[in-house]
Amino acid sequence: MARRVISRRFLPPDPRAEEPYRLTPRLALRVGLLGMVAIAVFATLFLRLWSLQILNGEQLLRAAQNNQRREVRVPAPRGSILDRTGLPLVTNVPSTVVQIDQSSLPKTKTARLRELRKLARILHVPLREIGATLRRHRYDLLTPVTIKSGISRAQAGYLDERADDFRGVRVTDVSLRYYPHRELAAHVLGYVGDISQEQLDALAKDGYRPGDTIGQSGIESEYDKYLRGKPGLEILRVNSLGRKQGPTIPLVPPAAGNTVRLTLDLKLQIAAEEALRYGIERARNSGCQGCWYANGGAIVALDPRDGSIRAMASNPTYPPSLYVGRVRQRALDAAGLTPRSAESMNYPALNRAINAAYPPGSTWKPVTAIAAMQEHILQPFEPLACTGEYEKNGQVFKNWDPFVNEAMTLTTALARSCDTYFYQVGYRFYGMPARLGPRLQAWASRFGFGQKTGIDVGSERSGLLPTPAWRKETYTKKTDPGHWQIDRLWKPGDSIQLAIGQKDLLVTPLQLARFYAMVANGGKLVTPHLLLDVEQPSANRSAGRVLPTPRPPAPEPTNVDAQALNVVREGLFEATHSSLGTSAAIFSGFPIPISGKTGTAEKFIDPGDGYLHNFNQSWWCGYGPSDSPDLVLCVLIENGGHGGDAAAPAALKVFEQFFGKRATQRGAIHSD
Amino acid sequence: MVEYASRAAARARARETVGVATFVRRLDWILIGSVGALVGYGLWAIADITRRDVTGDAHYYLTRQAVYASIGVLCLVAAVLIDPDVYRTRWRAIFGGTSFLILIVYLQGQAVRGSKRWLDLGFFKFQPSEFGKVLFVLALAGFLAERSRHLNELRTTLTAGGLALVPIFLVFLQPDFGSALVYCAAVGAVLLVAGTPWTHLGGLGAAAVAVAVLVLGVMPAAGVPVLKKYQEKRLTGFLNPDSDPGGTTYNITQSKNAIGAGELRGRGPDNATQTTLNFLPEHHTDFVFASLAEERGFFGAAFLLMLYLLVVWRGFRIVTLAREPFTAIVAGGLVVALLFQIFVNVGMTMGIAPITGIPLPFVSVGGSSMIANLIAVGLLLSLHVRARTARR
Repeated sequence: MARRVISRRFLPPDPRAEEPYRLTPRLALRVGLLGMVAIAVFATLFLRLWSLQILNGEQLLRAAQNNQRREVRVPAPRGSILDRTGLPLVTNVPSTVVQIDQSSLPKTKTARLRELRKLARILHVPLREIGATLRRHRYDLLTPVTIKSGISRAQAGYLDERADDFRGVRVTDVSLRYYPHRELAAHVLGYVGDISQEQLDALAKDGYRPGDTIGQSGIESEYDKYLRGKPGLEILRVNSLGRKQGPTIPLVPPAAGNTVRLTLDLKLQIAAEEALRYGIERARNSGCQGCWYANGGAIVALDPRDGSIRAMASNPTYPPSLYVGRVRQRALDAAGLTPRSAESMNYPALNRAINAAYPPGSTWKPVTAIAAMQEHILQPFEPLACTGEYEKNGQVFKNWDPFVNEAMTLTTALARSCDTYFYQVGYRFYGMPARLGPRLQAWASRFGFGQKTGIDVGSERSGLLPTPAWRKETYTKKTDPGHWQIDRLWKPGDSIQLAIGQKDLLVTPLQLARFYAMVANGGKLVTPHLLLDVEQPSANRSAGRVLPTPRPPAPEPTNVDAQALNVVREGLFEATHSSLGTSAAIFSGFPIPISGKTGTAEKFIDPGDGYLHNFNQSWWCGYGPSDSPDLVLCVLIENGGHGGDAAAPAALKVFEQFFGKRATQRGAIHSD
Repeated sequence: MVEYASRAAARARARETVGVATFVRRLDWILIGSVGALVGYGLWAIADITRRDVTGDAHYYLTRQAVYASIGVLCLVAAVLIDPDVYRTRWRAIFGGTSFLILIVYLQGQAVRGSKRWLDLGFFKFQPSEFGKVLFVLALAGFLAERSRHLNELRTTLTAGGLALVPIFLVFLQPDFGSALVYCAAVGAVLLVAGTPWTHLGGLGAAAVAVAVLVLGVMPAAGVPVLKKYQEKRLTGFLNPDSDPGGTTYNITQSKNAIGAGELRGRGPDNATQTTLNFLPEHHTDFVFASLAEERGFFGAAFLLMLYLLVVWRGFRIVTLAREPFTAIVAGGLVVALLFQIFVNVGMTMGIAPITGIPLPFVSVGGSSMIANLIAVGLLLSLHVRARTARR
């Protein structure tokens, strides 16, 4: 080191310093220690940098790149739904909608609020509703949220001109569901809506994603896979706030959905719905007991040869357009489509043809008749007494017509719907050996009662076919503490009342129609279905074609004795044509021979006064032309009184449309 | 040695005072060069990193940072010209004044993101805790130099510790946990270089560990949370980086992605999407190293670390050149504080150090940090010049 010259010190000498400060070995050790720490620190930093950039660089680069790519789905136009002749039932209509791109809204809360408030005023949508809609989509900032659809040209123009004042608001054309016939076949067609979380969980593997539109009921739901098409894909670059950067790059163009053609006949469907309204109106005006409360019903019309459904009506109904675009809760409430308001409107969303079960009453008698003949406990031409009352074990069962007193064969008993005749048949079933099991129910089950028909739309009820085993299971100490020892037994009264379709028995109109189709087609059980075919619309390069779809199962033979069927068919023909037939007054004047059976089923209803009343459910089931049936019809009017009062006249209206002919004359109705 | 050739001339020119040329020659030009390179490199990096941050003004941060750097250079020159002995004799005033400033910040300062660190002077947001790093090292060094004959007494060590606790505690209250840690590191270095006996150092170290355990473990368990929840999460978040990638460790994940994506050569300022698309938060301040590594790659980041290494080396060299305790203590304290900041900031961006709001010296956008660090360099240069002169 350099020589030390004390006198040349730059700093004044420290008087306390006895010897000059210098780098002692002690200090050197300490500085060396710090130097080692420094070297260790830099070594660590270099090694870590090397590890991140060189060793893991590729992987982290990929992570960084994935940060900014977003794939956005482009919705595909949904397929149309047509009737069997190709007339549109549901189509799409282009609509101008206002959407909010949440990621592009103003950043500050006050600016955002000011903009939304202005937007609410222009669109006449409450600000609260906009806020609620945005909150629902707050985790998906890239999918624009529709605030209002079907805005006027003036509104669109206003928003377009002031695009700078409305950042994040865009006006675009989308295709929305359009229902040219409004409420027509609403229950069958169903409606579409945003996919729910439950649906998403169940269907994610089929390519459904949040924000998708999906059929929520009816055909729209059942054949969603054909109707929805394939959404396209676009690629976006986004920044950390999810804001779009640069142009979108189309990756896959959307493929439009396929057209679904139904077996429905538009004209017949219109007629059926009109007939249903007519039947209800007629029942209300008839003055019969409880008929003032006639407030609903169902009509099923199907082709007895293959089970294709020509018309399916349910009343009350609703316009599916309520679910299009921005769904307003208040409108749904007013239409009875929310749980809160459904009861007061008598459940308009319910498809009564398949999803409601009623006691069938006398329309059940053909089932009893066929089963009894098959079991050889009844000879078709064996006369049985038809009286005003039937007494068994001290219990009295009444006939609907208390004044009748004559012997009847099966055809007459069917034609005049004699209850006491069938009580005796029912008791014969009761008297059969127990080891054979409940034979009437066995035949009914073979005819499809107590089980789903397998129709390809919506939720379906299986009804209730009571058996001794069912009673034993249902009435236990727990469920029926007072009377379970009695109630769990199958008693004579159960068999007797089952024979005329009363007591515990419940069927859906479609089940009954299917049975009458079996009677009409000579013993084959059809599977009711609505799908005719699925057609791929012609695109720019490919011609339209019919897609392969699973065919409905072929009609299944039930191996019913042809003679037994003939007897029943004759009975049904007489019911509409012989002088005392229950619906002869209505159908005898119709140029096409119609066969069919009325029914008056007793059901306990609370019409709103807090008490249960025994109201009659009005039924008519039948087919025409009688010798080679083309159409099977089942009509139910809730609380409609006697079958001949409401249901049969409604059925006639449908036949008139179907055959293009009108009935000429009417006589007095003498019906159960 | 540069001055060998002209030693005779120098001797002739000046006896008790030093001429301007000699003074300039005795400056540590390697230190000046490396710091100059750091500031220049930092400005160049900031220009690219912040180009898209302020819409309509691509040079918003660059202009500001350049102004800060210019002010800093002026302060540096001033610090070089002032004889460090001035600080040594006035350490009480420095200590009192700085404590007062930090206290005022705590009482009056504006809360930014829940922490009061800044004094708004209108044209400039002044962050006393940054300057405090330098000033407290000076004050503590002054105290220890004054008591250099009594270093073996426990009283000295305890008084030094007590003096140090004041700023540490005040800064901790702001809360500015990062600066408090830097102070701790600086105090440790100051005591070490001053020559405090190992037993005392060991005792202080044990006390620090005990406090850390108390603050992090025992007191929260007993229901007295000392650290805010976010502070605790940040401190421990780097230990298990996958615990909460959307929340606390989001920054770390994005930062590591950014650094890794840079690979060897960097993605360049236009393709550095982690920075340009804002995935990397605070990329002009706390996470500037990650942005630099993304844009310039291993080469660029390693070059920056090399410059730091150079500065640290030159700083330690001053300790060895010191002709009096004050010089050695100040140099040691300042260099360790700098080293600690570099490690914690760079380590944080790479996920090997806890998240604390410590800026990267000379690079992070921020006036107080830039100016304070340049003042520190000025002090080092000044000490160097005097030490070299004393050697004659």
